[in-house]
Amino acid sequence: MAVSGFEGFEKRLELHFSGDDPALTSTMGLRRLDFSLLEQVLHVVQCSVVSAVANQYFDAYVLSESSLFIYPTKIIIKTCGTTQLLKSIRPLIHLAKNLNHSIITCKYTRGNFIFPQSQPFPHTSFSEEVSFLEDNLPDKLSNRKASVMNSSKSHAWHVFTASVPGSGEGVSAESKAAAYTYTVEVCMTDLDRVLARRFFGGTGNSMTEITGIYGINPKALICDFEFDPCGYSMNGIDGDRYSTIHVTPEDGFSYASFECVGSVFDDDDDLVRMLKKVVKIFRPGKMSVATSTSVANDVSTRVNNAMKMVGMRCRSFNADDFPASGNRKLPIKIGTRRTSCIGLDVYWIETLKQSKGLHTFPFWNLEFPKPKVIKDAALAEWQRNQIFEMQILMSIFGRFILEY
Amino acid sequence: MAGEEGTVIACHTVDAWNEQLQKGNDSKKLIVVDFTASWCGPCRFIAPILADFAKKMPHVTFLKVDVDELKSVAEDWAVEAMPTFMFLKEGKIVDKVVGAKKDELQLVIEKHAK
Repeated sequence: MAVSGFEGFEKRLELHFSGDDPALTSTMGLRRLDFSLLEQVLHVVQCSVVSAVANQYFDAYVLSESSLFIYPTKIIIKTCGTTQLLKSIRPLIHLAKNLNHSIITCKYTRGNFIFPQSQPFPHTSFSEEVSFLEDNLPDKLSNRKASVMNSSKSHAWHVFTASVPGSGEGVSAESKAAAYTYTVEVCMTDLDRVLARRFFGGTGNSMTEITGIYGINPKALICDFEFDPCGYSMNGIDGDRYSTIHVTPEDGFSYASFECVGSVFDDDDDLVRMLKKVVKIFRPGKMSVATSTSVANDVSTRVNNAMKMVGMRCRSFNADDFPASGNRKLPIKIGTRRTSCIGLDVYWIETLKQSKGLHTFPFWNLEFPKPKVIKDAALAEWQRNQIFEMQILMSIFGRFILEY
Repeated sequence: MAGEEGTVIACHTVDAWNEQLQKGNDSKKLIVVDFTASWCGPCRFIAPILADFAKKMPHVTFLKVDVDELKSVAEDWAVEAMPTFMFLKEGKIVDKVVGAKKDELQLVIEKHAK
């Protein structure tokens, strides 16, 4: 492992907005944001647009450090390296306000940095990020939760969510459809060296073609960018769905990410096919899959099955739920296998009841218990095989906790 | 028309569009058509880059078509994602670039501009 190098692991911010005028949300919404103002926000984050494409549903930008997607009521921004992503929150909320859109949900996620000591403020630690988020989000987003999943592993997953309680389920077609979709974020490290060489340019042939990335979703329109001397980014657009891949191919800190959107109405095969192709393109030594959904039950099974078919062994699995904007009451369903995690959740509920005004949850109290101790022989076998870890995030109050 | 060379010419009517196409056919110049929209962020990203190309390559004709203004033309040319750049020479489509991709645009323009 190199002492320092380019940080591939991304920080991801997803902001949902409401339009005060219902008619507005059915038109362009946030897509009307002036491009020069967007550029200024990106400048604050220390990145810029290198390539872009739009269709009737959303705008997709490839950035010098990952991607930006703008929908009428949703902004997703994902940046890697040493970008100060969270600094975009205030300006984005402000710009949206000028268009009569107010923020209703904020979700911030990231894995573990390979080089955490190289990160600038406010990303030097998760607690610093949570603090910054607490200070920069409006108080009305009072349903808040911070959690670190799989914290003992190198592929841990950090989550912070904040939303307006009781803001009601959306009535627009967009938000109804959103209730049945899920995002899948795959983080891969220790990429196969030979395959990674394809992301060092200079062949005159497109990386999208020679690596087979175009085949992951043949229906998608791909907007790609090849960095000099190495590195690759792409956004795929397919109807209202995006997919995105970012590659840091250098040995010692190689990294690749794949993110896409699925729907419970899709064929099961679609996801399996895509994930199989992704694994084949990168052959990572280690991989983690994080799924975010508001339709709990079906999605985790679906993703779980998909990963098994891809041929990877699950090393660990965690699930957690996060309060969504909505009228739903607190957790109503409890998993059949009780663990001490339930104890943590109960603690969380009680905190909510007792302190109506207080809406922050000390994240270090919400860690899941350490995984079982693994015998050496089994560990060696796992190290020889490709392994993956999976975290499932639920954003509704259905709650079930599984163990492997 | 004088003063148009070196700039991106906006076609606001179907007549203006047809007129420009005819001029292009007659002169055998490469025509690059930018299908754009006022609400399209990526289109706004590439606009100054395209204007720069137009300035540097006066031997190429650059046209701009707003897909809302000239709906029928956009439909005829099956424009779905934006920006879409069509490359025309002597009445025929010789190439197409979909998306605001500076390097690819430059390569394709240079390829056909001879």
